[in-house]
Amino acid sequence: MSYKTNENWFYKVVGRNVHLWQYVDSAGVADLAGYKIRLPDSYYGVQLVYPSEDITNGLMFEGTAYVEPFVNVDPNELDGFDNPTLTEETAILGTLNEDSHVNLNRFLSLAIVDYIKAMSADSRGDLGSKEYYMKEFWRKIGDNASNKKMFALVSPTTPHAVR
Amino acid sequence: MTIQEIMERSGVRETNLAIAWIRDAIHLIQSNGDDQVATWKTDITDTVREYPFPANLIKLKSLSVLDTSDDKYKRIRRLTHQPTVSEDTDPD
Repeated sequence: MSYKTNENWFYKVVGRNVHLWQYVDSAGVADLAGYKIRLPDSYYGVQLVYPSEDITNGLMFEGTAYVEPFVNVDPNELDGFDNPTLTEETAILGTLNEDSHVNLNRFLSLAIVDYIKAMSADSRGDLGSKEYYMKEFWRKIGDNASNKKMFALVSPTTPHAVR
Repeated sequence: MTIQEIMERSGVRETNLAIAWIRDAIHLIQSNGDDQVATWKTDITDTVREYPFPANLIKLKSLSVLDTSDDKYKRIRRLTHQPTVSEDTDPD
């Protein structure tokens, strides 16, 4: 049984894989006829060992992903009072066409317009325009990220300030 | 916004090229931000240390291991260096 996994488990990113390590401060024991014995080749003391048990759905990754980039309806419009039900459209299914919607909000969709203008300028060799549109692209990405954050700016008033 | 509207706004006429650039842009957005966050779960196997990243993962945010004593996923920490392996039962 795993316990305090936030304290006893560690990982290391190695290429496309994750290496899992378990911290142990004891000895590996086995049950034999009701007695716990330490096997000669088992671990003991403080060290990192490979995972020592099977855990179904034990490892959970969380991250950004390439999820349903194109969908059948506008993701920014409510369906009545509910969020729209999105169905992915792909080239493999034969459903991807010019009427497919990009699964982003309108601001990020406008950023994509800038990105395409930048790539189009790049293919023409117009590097000045490319740089301009890429700057616009990143500005919109930044604005979109800051739209989700709220903060208050507080500045102290000095005792002799004119009020 | 539809692909057609994006093409009209950007003045691109080739649909496949526009779709390819849209995919690239989405990848850039997901690499630098977190517009869509997902989770993936996989089994941990006794004595196996190596687990591949999910195929469609772009940027890793956290890694958690199920604490079976209270049935909760708990975020684990990253090692800053590769441990010295003195005994290896699963060399790859």
